[in-house]
Parts: sequence; C-alpha cells; structure tokens
Amino acid sequence: MLTELETTLLGVMMMVIMLGMGASMTPRDFRIAFRKPKGILVGLLSQFAVMPFLGFLLAVGLGLPPALVVGLLLIACMPGGTTSNIFAYFSKGVLALSIMMTVVSTLAAVVMVPVLLSFYGGLAGVPAESAIPPANVAQVLVVLLIPTLLGMVLRKLNPNIGATVELIGSVMGVVVILFLIVTWVPRNYQLLLDTGPAIYAATIGIGLIGMLFGFWVARGLGQDTNRSRTISLETGIQNGPLAVLVITLSFAPALQEDLLLIPVLYSLFIVLSSTAITLWYRRNATREALARDAAKLGG
Amino acid sequence: MTHDFPRPWTAAYGAEIAPELAPSAHQSIAHLVAASTTAHGKRRAFTCVVPNGMNGSLSYAQVGAMSDAFASFLRHHCKLAPGARVAVQLPNGLAYPVAVFGAFKAGCVLVNTNPLYTPDEMIHQFRDSGAEVLVISDMFADKLAEVIPQTQIRHVVLAGVPEFFPSVPEMVVRGVQKLWNRSLPPVPDLGVPVLRIRQALKLGRGLPAVTDWDALRPDDLALLQYTGGTTGVAKGAMLTHGNILANIDQVKAMGARYMTGEDVILTALPLYHIFAFTANLMVFFDLGARNILVPSPRPVQNIQRALENYPVTWITGVNTLFNGLMNEEWFAAYPPKHLKAAIAGGTALHEAVAARWQTITGTRIAEGYGLTETAPLVSFNPLDQDVRVGSIGIPAPGTDVVLVDDKVEPVAQGEAGELLVRGPQVMRGYWNRPDETEKTLQNGWVFTGDVAVMDPDGFLKIVDRKKDMVLVSGFNVYPNEVEDCLSKMDAVLEAAVIGVPDKGTGEAVRAYVVQNPDVAAQITKEDVVAHCRKHLAAYKVPRSVIIRDELPKSPIGKILRKDLKAEVRAEFAKGA
Repeated sequence: MLTELETTLLGVMMMVIMLGMGASMTPRDFRIAFRKPKGILVGLLSQFAVMPFLGFLLAVGLGLPPALVVGLLLIACMPGGTTSNIFAYFSKGVLALSIMMTVVSTLAAVVMVPVLLSFYGGLAGVPAESAIPPANVAQVLVVLLIPTLLGMVLRKLNPNIGATVELIGSVMGVVVILFLIVTWVPRNYQLLLDTGPAIYAATIGIGLIGMLFGFWVARGLGQDTNRSRTISLETGIQNGPLAVLVITLSFAPALQEDLLLIPVLYSLFIVLSSTAITLWYRRNATREALARDAAKLGG
Repeated sequence: MTHDFPRPWTAAYGAEIAPELAPSAHQSIAHLVAASTTAHGKRRAFTCVVPNGMNGSLSYAQVGAMSDAFASFLRHHCKLAPGARVAVQLPNGLAYPVAVFGAFKAGCVLVNTNPLYTPDEMIHQFRDSGAEVLVISDMFADKLAEVIPQTQIRHVVLAGVPEFFPSVPEMVVRGVQKLWNRSLPPVPDLGVPVLRIRQALKLGRGLPAVTDWDALRPDDLALLQYTGGTTGVAKGAMLTHGNILANIDQVKAMGARYMTGEDVILTALPLYHIFAFTANLMVFFDLGARNILVPSPRPVQNIQRALENYPVTWITGVNTLFNGLMNEEWFAAYPPKHLKAAIAGGTALHEAVAARWQTITGTRIAEGYGLTETAPLVSFNPLDQDVRVGSIGIPAPGTDVVLVDDKVEPVAQGEAGELLVRGPQVMRGYWNRPDETEKTLQNGWVFTGDVAVMDPDGFLKIVDRKKDMVLVSGFNVYPNEVEDCLSKMDAVLEAAVIGVPDKGTGEAVRAYVVQNPDVAAQITKEDVVAHCRKHLAAYKVPRSVIIRDELPKSPIGKILRKDLKAEVRAEFAKGA
C-alpha cells in the first residue's frame, strides 16, 4: 500500500506538523486557556464522545467488513487535524479555540484513542487480528507529543523560529494530503472504482455528520453560533494522516490495504466537504455580523 | 501678567528632583541621537513585535548608522534644504526611528502624520506643512494616487511593518500581509519617485555624510505636530529642538531614579503622537534603554507577545488601553513581572482603573498631564509620594502654572480656573496661523482650555475641558466626574458623558455606557441612574442613559465626546 520510504516520509511529515502545531502556542497560552475551559471541554466531548459513537453507528448500520470497521473507528476516534485551523480561519470562526482544541485533543488522544478503540472495537466485534494494538496507538501518539511540546517551548524561546515553524507545519498539513493523493490514488485507481457506495457513504458521512452533531452539541451546551461553528469544524475534521500513519506502523504491508482504505479516502474527501461547509459557515458568519451592525445603528 | 508666579509645589519635588531645570546637555535632537548612539553602541535600542511574536531589533549603532544614511539620502538625493519638511506616516516599527532621526540629522522638520488618516486629512496636512518628502507605510500606499498630485511632495519612501526584521520573519510577515490579510495594496503610479526605505538607505550610504546638523540650535524648529485643537481644522504646533530636549529632561525628572538605561519600555501608543514620541522614543533613547514597539495595539491582544517575551519595566498608556489590558485574561492572570510603573496621559485616568491596576500589577500608574503645544509634559505625579487619586500631579521642573478666570485673572487658591502653562517646553506657535497662535499663546503662556483646581501643595486636578462642561440650570457639571462614577459600576466597561440641549434646564446630562462583556448582569438605564443618585448631586445625575456596543475613540484610544456631541446635534436638528 505504502512503501517503507513513504511510511518514513509520512512519519517525518507528521513530526513537522506536530512541531508546527505545538509552535502555534506557548505553555502559558495553554495554562490560560484552561482557566476558562468550558469551550475546550465542550469540544473534547464532541470530539471523543460524539464522533466515536457516530463512527460505531455508521460501521454497524452500513454493515462494513471488519477491516473497514477498524479504519472507520480509527478515523472517528482520532484527535482534531491541524487543517481544521485553516478552515476555522476562513469560516471566520474563533481561531484561538480551534488551535486550542486541536492541541488539547491531541494530548488527550494518548489515553482516549486506545481506550475508545478497544471499547468500540469490542462492541462491533472486530476480530483480534484486525484490531489495532492499543499500546501501538499510544506509542505513536506519545512519540508525536515530543515535537508538540518542543514546538510550544520553541515558540516561547524564539518567536521568530516558532512562528516560522508554525507556518511550515500548516503548509505541511496540506502537503501530506497532496502526498497521499499522489502516492496512493494512481496506484489504487481501480480500487476507487470498485469501492461500493456504502464505503463512500461512511467516509464522507463521518465528517459531515460529525460537523452537524458538533454544532448542535455545542449550541445545546450554550456556546454561541460562532464558537459552535468552530467546534463543528473541529469535530468533523479529524487527523486523517495520523490514522494512516498508525496503521502503517501497526500492520504488515499485506494487511494494510483494507485497513487504510477509509482513512485515506477520508483524508481526501474531508478537504472537499470542509471547504463546502466553510463557505456556508462563512456566509452565515457574515450575515450575523451584518445583522449585529444593523441592530447597533438602530439602537 | 508679568509678575512672578508662586510655585507652591516645589516642596513636593522632594530631595531627588531639582526645582530648576538645567539647560539640556544637547544643542538639538540630532546631537542627542549622535551622543546616545556613541554611548550605547551595541545595546538594543528598538525591538518591534508583531502580534504573532515575530520580531526584529536594531542596536543603537545600527539606528545611528541607518539614520545617517537616511539623512544623506534626504539632503543629497532628494536635495532637501535644512528646514524642509519631511512627513513621516508610519505605525510603530523599526523604520520609524530611522526615518525620524534621519530627518533631524538632515536638519529637516518632522511632520508626524497619523497612518490612518483619510486622503483628505493627508492632503490638508501635507499642503499646510509644505512637506517635500513622505515616508509612509506600504499598507496605505493606495491612498497616494489621490493625495500626491495635490501636494508639494517630490519623493515617496515606503516602509513595511516588518522592515529591518531578519529576512525569514520579514518574508513570513510580508507574506501573511499580502496573501492572508490582503493588507498590502499595489503601489499606484504617482508621477514622483517611489523608493523602499532599504533602497533609500543604500543610496544614502553612497552619498557624502551630512554633518551640518552640528549647526542646529535649540531654537531651531524640529517638529510640526498637528493637533485638532478646539476649532476643528488641524494646525501644526511648532515645537523646537529646545522644546523637546527640555521636555525629555522634565520627563526624566519625573521618573527620577526609576528610569535607567536598563529599562525596557512598552510602546503600544503610536509614536506619531506627541505623548509616545517624547516619553517613549526620545526619553528612553536618551537613557540607552530599549523600546518594544507594537505596530498596532488594537485589538489589545496584539500586545500579548510583546509583554510576555520581554522584561517590560515601563508602560505608557491611556485610560482605555490600561482598561483594555486588564480585561484580557492573559494580562490579569500573568501581569508583567518586571514592571516598575506605568505612565498615563492623553485623557483622564479613572480612579477605578488606577486602583485595579495597582491590585493586578502591584505597581502604580503615575498620571501625567500634557498637550501637544507643550511637547507634551506639563505636570506629573512624583513616584515616591503617596497616590493622590485623580490628581495630574505637580508641574514639571522649570514650568509655571496659573489658573485664571474668564477675565484672565488668577483665581483664589482652591477654586477652579483655566489652566495656563509657561516653560521651556512651550511651542513657538501654530505654523502659518498667527490668529490661532494669538488665541492660544500669550506672553509665553499657553491657554490649555482645561479647567483645573490646585490644592495648597500645588497638586493639580483637572476638572474638565472648558468646552465640555455641561451647564445644568446654572450648575457646572464636569463630565469626568460623572464618567468616573459610572465606571465604578461593575457592569460598565466604559462610559462617556456629554451635555444635550434641554428645554427646562438649558442643558441636561446624557450618559453613554458600554456593557462589560465579562459581567453577566446586563446594565439597565434604571441601575445607572440609581447608582448615580447614590453618589452624585441630583443635577449631575444623567437625565438620559444610552447603552452602546462601543464608543467613538481617537487613534490613541481617547473617547471622543465631540463625535457624540455631533450625533446629538444631528439628532436635535432632525427633531426640531
């Protein structure tokens, strides 16, 4: 599926992305954010309670085979992706909340992802040979925490290098997806054609339904519309490339093909669906801003 | 008014402040810059910090050499004669001191210009001053197509926000401005040469050095500092090298031993304004200290990285800036550790803000008072003495102050009168406006238009602007007093008070209040009135209360009562 070189390259790129993600804030920003943690907690709830459950429902409801169930569950349990920050920005959302949610969910993922995977994996009856060993997931995530923390310290010590690394990390987020498209799609062209509608529904659905639920969970818990839109994007946009990396590091190449299908497809399609949702959110945000201005003039 | 005026405040100077101001050690600002450059060579003079924390710095030696090159560029490339006007229209950044010190070294007169001016305002200011060279931020180059043809400007120099940053951060910031914020417009074809400041410096380095600034004397004109004043049309206050040099020493007297070359001062207020120009740029450059320049303090969050990443010891600000900072979680939770004190000016500092600042930072806000016409410092609160709430302190050394009534006779001690100021910092007059000069400047005294009272020790308190006073059934209501009362309400973020026409009382008090977003309780008009009834005499209680999302503010954050008054005039014209 992916050659060893490609896997190594993917690992290095993930390191750079995580370094950049860490460099988007300082340790102090992190402490300050937790003084008023409500938004972040709501985000965590939709990230680690709503999404995995949706993944499970989709997997069971669509009657996917075990290998695809594992891929879908893994995507559903992943922390937020760094590209969500770009979408948050363009949707006129709350960028600081998006960045903070990405970092916090990545940190929490070390514990949450292995626990959720074994729980829902068991519930969905995934056979042992397809299950991702929880220790592996934790290991990959812990390794990725090192560049994250390093990035935070870097931002504190040298903001010039820190902010540059942040920028490189964001660009790398896009590069990784292009990389997956270039390396994977041409070789699996036939596979894409053979893939059934149920799989496409699961792949595209998990992102879109996640965004829908993310929004309403946040609204229900008292977040304003703008913050809810941010949480919505953050919930739906998962760290797809990280899921690809976890699988390639956990399974022998022969076993990877089916497991990788949904994570790779997700990584490709989420860019399209997020773009559409972002345009829609942006219009709503603009309309609300205009309405506020009008109210001001009237008052 | 030629008799001697008593200076009851000299006792309050204490042991550390000399009551008489010694003549400056320098002949001109150019001399000061050269001396400080030699004395502090490798020390960092300026660090500019953009909101994401990216930064660039210049040492004293670099600023010295670059401003020399800029002076050569102005004199030999642009062929400016000494005394020619150079307009500088830049937000805070590393290019500002280079351009400004270069202009002084070329013997030119600086015309400080607000970067946010509209083309009309720019045209007025450039034509009025006769500026021949314009140094402007590349973010506003698009305004020039309209402006340049209507002025005498012959050369345009562009400078960016990340100018003189290390190359990668400069590229990143410029890239973000261009592609992300879209704040770098293309430069229109202007019919006059347009250079970037780096190119100008490169040209300047190849030209003969300019040394004739050595002939500058304290009486020579240094700045045309434009001010709206009372009549609306902006006029240029003529400040000499001697005015600025004297005021530098006066500010240093105020800071006494609290100001040293080891200090780090946060410059979030714009340098084109006389307050930061003198207090931040000139004073701390003279000291050999480090200026942390923030290009734009709005939103207040833009200041976060500057405060976090540098051991800031001094902050200058206005009431709204201090208030804004304290409403930021990152500031209130982690106030700057190295802070010695803050200086407030520009507008009245509210008691509630000063008290909260003391609680949060453990340091004082020393309120000073000044005006463009006095370069700007007139009076200050000595840091070694107890806080006198609401006082603008005692006059700076070498300054005379008198309070007069409408007949320009001194009022009795303790009574309110218009504040008149005389001293080495007083301007020469308004540029090309003999009529306005005559109204404001008489026998060396500046009529400030502010009404003040003086206590027996010489401490002054501004009661209000003469023209802002509200006359309710013959009683004087000073808006500041009512605003101060309003700002003590938790739910009130900020407040403004003006007078509106009233059939019964002549004028009536109207209050504008902004809800504090951090307080859950919504302000109601009834609460506001009830609160004022408790603390103010009946005639001072607002007759009407208007709740707003925001109040009109000047570039440095002064709340603009005049804009509210204009709204009211329009409202009453319509209603009549």
